[in-house]
Amino acid sequence: MIHLTIDGKKLEVEEGTTILQAAEKADIHIPTLCFHPLLEPYASCRVCIVEVEHQGKKELLTSCNTLVREGMVVETASERVLRARKLNVEMLLARAPAAEPVKKIAQELGIEKPRFEIKDPQEKCILCGLCVRACEEVVGANAISFINRGQEREVAPPFGEPSEACIGCTACAFFCPTGAITYEDLYGRQVIHEELNLGPATAIRVPIRQAVPMVPFIDEDACIHFKTGNCQLCVKVCEKEAINHDMKEEEIEIEVGSIILASGFKPFDARRIPAYGYGRFPNVITALEFERLVNASGPTGGKILLANGQEPKAVGIIHCVGSRDENYNEYCSRVCCMYSLKFAHLIREKTEADIYDFYIDMRCFGKGYEEFYHRLLHEGTKFIRGRVSEITDIPLTPEEEGKLIIRVEDTLVGTVRRIPVDMVILATGLEPSLDHNEIAHIFNISCSQDTFFLERHPKLAPVSTFSDGIFLAGTCQSPKDIPDTVAQAGAAASEALALADKGTFELEPITAEIDEKLCAGCQICVSLCPFNAITYNKEKHISEVNDALCKGCGTCVSACPSGAAQQKHFRDLQIMAEIEGLFID
Amino acid sequence: MEEKTTPTRYRLHLMVCAGTACVSNRSFEIKEALEKELKKQGLENEVLVVTTGCNGFCERGPLLVVQPGNIFYQQLTVKDIPYLVEEHFLKGRPVQKLMYTPPEEKKPIPVLNDIDFFKKQVLIALRNRGLIDPEKIEDYIARDGYRALVKALTQMTPEEIIEEIKKSGLRGRGGAGFPTGLKWEFVRLASPANGGLKYLVCNGDEGDPGAFMDRSILEADPHSVIEGMVIGAKAIGAQQGYVYIRNEYPLALKRLTLALEQAREYGLLGKDILGTGFDFDIKVARGAGAFVCGEETALLASIEGRLGEPRPRPPYPAQRGLYGQPTCINNVETWANVPVIINRGAEWFSKIGTKTSKGTKVFSLVGKINNTGLVEVPMGITLREIIFEIGGGIPGGKEFKAVQTGGPSGGCIPKEKLDLPIDYESLTEAGSMMGSGGMVVMDEDTCMVDVAKYFLSFTQDESCGKCTPCREGTKAMLDILERITKGEGTEEDLQLLEDLAVSIKETALCGLGKTAPNPVLTTLRYFRDEYLTHIRDKKCPAHVCRDLNVYTIDEKICLEVGHGCDVCRRNCASEAIIGEKNQPHRIIQEKCIKCGVCYDVCKFGAVKVD
Repeated sequence: MIHLTIDGKKLEVEEGTTILQAAEKADIHIPTLCFHPLLEPYASCRVCIVEVEHQGKKELLTSCNTLVREGMVVETASERVLRARKLNVEMLLARAPAAEPVKKIAQELGIEKPRFEIKDPQEKCILCGLCVRACEEVVGANAISFINRGQEREVAPPFGEPSEACIGCTACAFFCPTGAITYEDLYGRQVIHEELNLGPATAIRVPIRQAVPMVPFIDEDACIHFKTGNCQLCVKVCEKEAINHDMKEEEIEIEVGSIILASGFKPFDARRIPAYGYGRFPNVITALEFERLVNASGPTGGKILLANGQEPKAVGIIHCVGSRDENYNEYCSRVCCMYSLKFAHLIREKTEADIYDFYIDMRCFGKGYEEFYHRLLHEGTKFIRGRVSEITDIPLTPEEEGKLIIRVEDTLVGTVRRIPVDMVILATGLEPSLDHNEIAHIFNISCSQDTFFLERHPKLAPVSTFSDGIFLAGTCQSPKDIPDTVAQAGAAASEALALADKGTFELEPITAEIDEKLCAGCQICVSLCPFNAITYNKEKHISEVNDALCKGCGTCVSACPSGAAQQKHFRDLQIMAEIEGLFID
Repeated sequence: MEEKTTPTRYRLHLMVCAGTACVSNRSFEIKEALEKELKKQGLENEVLVVTTGCNGFCERGPLLVVQPGNIFYQQLTVKDIPYLVEEHFLKGRPVQKLMYTPPEEKKPIPVLNDIDFFKKQVLIALRNRGLIDPEKIEDYIARDGYRALVKALTQMTPEEIIEEIKKSGLRGRGGAGFPTGLKWEFVRLASPANGGLKYLVCNGDEGDPGAFMDRSILEADPHSVIEGMVIGAKAIGAQQGYVYIRNEYPLALKRLTLALEQAREYGLLGKDILGTGFDFDIKVARGAGAFVCGEETALLASIEGRLGEPRPRPPYPAQRGLYGQPTCINNVETWANVPVIINRGAEWFSKIGTKTSKGTKVFSLVGKINNTGLVEVPMGITLREIIFEIGGGIPGGKEFKAVQTGGPSGGCIPKEKLDLPIDYESLTEAGSMMGSGGMVVMDEDTCMVDVAKYFLSFTQDESCGKCTPCREGTKAMLDILERITKGEGTEEDLQLLEDLAVSIKETALCGLGKTAPNPVLTTLRYFRDEYLTHIRDKKCPAHVCRDLNVYTIDEKICLEVGHGCDVCRRNCASEAIIGEKNQPHRIIQEKCIKCGVCYDVCKFGAVKVD
């Protein structure tokens, strides 16, 4: 331990501590500009200078990089320190008059206007080098550096051109204390995370707010460490030492008796209907985006606002976007009517806006649903029956100026109407998830015409599949709302439990078998088997049937050119004998 | 192989100086002419022409020293050669008219050692100057070269070497004057990180305007530096050395590279040196000419291929230097001193010099001085001795005004301090510094504000821009000096200038910034009146600051002495002078751009400047 005095306070700190750290511990504030606790001290701004008396010598030293020594006496604001610090800050203020941190320190020191020449009143860069050091020390990309010297010194990528070494991590902007570095795309928009285009995200985050387990993960695609091998700032700041970059994704094999598939859905991509202008008009949003917008933890804090930050005066909700439509999906997505009604109710609660609800049929089939619809009717939501043909921003009348116009045939009135609104919510339907086909292939289950997973029987076995031990739950089987999903999931769980409880599994009596002596190893049966029950044994050069998977369909039997594949109890010889028996009588 | 009948002994050796200054004065043409003429006279087997490194007396180049006898010929031309060869080398009659005659004297001085310029010098670092061919290792060895290396490698332990250097009192010749032995000991005791190597670096990045000591040593005696480095490497336990040398020194670069090759060939460098099992090799790193790279941390960054800018110390290079390993970095001249100390002993060395500063120091004497050149003098010699005895005083009978020591970061020392015995402490005391040994002499025609402005504009231009005080402060100071020399300065400016100077000195990051205000501070200290004259009277006493000059024509002299010769009018670019021939002329002040051409061309002294 080392003993020193800072501004008259006697301190005891560990060896290797800097004066700045020691002062911080004693609650003594020393102004800094080029210092950052996560980076190596650079000692270039010379603002953190203090007067140090050690072994009879008094000198001005930068506190950010000077280590404490036994018996040191430090003055952080002596007359000599203030005189020099003031001049240095005054010079920095002349260089970068628009840099807020400099302005703040200058104000603290009582500097009103620099006495030196100001070249650019808009300049923000104070040449503290935090960006350059972050790119070198933290990111390890070395994409930017100082160029030129003296007065001409500036931060730039090599040759002033966009550098290939830049990984676009924006760490430089993050470390920049004055906002001299901004990160914008070609259109001048702030670069933010792609998720729903609604807010920035970092490489470490909780995937969604309802995530189970509720723990953060590291997004390898966004994490600097996985790009350059450097950074690991999170490791430095995590006191619990909970972060480990060496952990690898691994495949775990688990032996199970039964499987429940609950692979969910994906929302219909509204871009596929160009006439609705999703993606072109900023105020045309999907149901999920609206859900995020009204959420209290959302980007606007739960306020319903337009892209320009104003409250909408009229909102249109369009049902059946991508559902009940021959061009896209013929089926009804079942949930859209009810969530649209919920949206209408929320908009009514939170804004003064007129609400138009464009529907084909109101499908309020569940318990209490119809009553909710009636409540909405009383609340004054305007329901218009008819499919919207187009959303446009080309006005025909002065009232339509600056609005989105919804063109729709009002089938109850029998005319085509143009309704100007500020915001349009598209009630997008449900589609099978992206990896739906892959899952079907892995588990060898079929899909129905609407491409959702096919159940064994729509009435008698709605949660089973044609493969024993594999069950379905939720929207992977068909669009359904939460109560239906919960009910189906319960059913699937009890089916699975029943199977597990039994402990054994009854094989089908009539399955195929392959005669080892006759099999030529042509593998025709392998490719034909609809249940993936036949595998090829490379050592024996023959095909083999898995009894647990075989359903006894007989496809292999009829296709086998050598007659090696035979159906138990229905062998060729047995059938022939039976036929012969018939003739004997 | 063809047997060549080269004689082993020659009657005479003609040492032709081939330092950069003499080479630019065509000394190679002199050498060729000499060889041609000797052949013509049939003397080629009796007289040998040798090219040597810088002799030091650059003012008088090209130079020739005849050995034995030490006869000194100077300012030779190719035309002189046939006569010289015939008279001296054939007939044995030294040619008086080609010898050195001190200014204002009539009798030439034939022998080199009798010349004042050489008489007072004590040669340690420059011990072989003018005596050996720097491109021949044999010449160096013949002058006891590499003897110290043999002694150090075979008879001394590293600790003994360090002890010897410590006892000698040798201090860094790069300017700061840190005790060399102590530095070596720090590096010896430091342990390399991650099982790496220790490094040893020779700083040959000589950037001071008007300083050329390092260049001269590397050109005249590269082996002395190599020998010093190998001894140092043995002492600190380094296996790899670097010589950082400016690319603007092509001759030094060439000779050093050649010397390294020769040393490797002779087993004095590389693997298993002299069969002792000690490995050490030297690489040459070339600098691109940034002044700040003479600062040790910036230099190391430059060798590593990074941006050449300094970093805060500590950690010192002795703890964390090149590639993060303990590194010993010394100046060219320091390394050249090492073999002599090992050879002749610390006791002998420490007898030379003052109490705190031992040995000698090489200075490059430039500016308004008769004998421009390189001198090596013992520490403790006075400025007066250097400037008036060795340097031969000020040309043109002008009065001495000040001497600027230590390069652009040094200070100006006035004539009241001429009797100051020179060592590290006394120069610092006087507000200047030893620096690498530049010495710029200024006469009465020099404006001290202008001098301060000149040196500051150099450091301002060379500032790397890393730290605020140096980057912004030197510019702010320069702006103030610009204002003063234009007659726009105020007394508040002077106060701000002083505040800035003190603050920069106290808070800058590296040596460059910490010393940059020295020329301003010393001129303010010793020549404050001149600043005040510029500010209050809007006058430059030395008439250097043109914006403050007012040119007038004394019509009486113009007419009566010059008879209206009209030369000034014809030469005036801005047509500011009016007057007919044979009539008195006049300057229209509104048109005058103060270029001073009229003043220069008027033979009659009719143009006055005020």
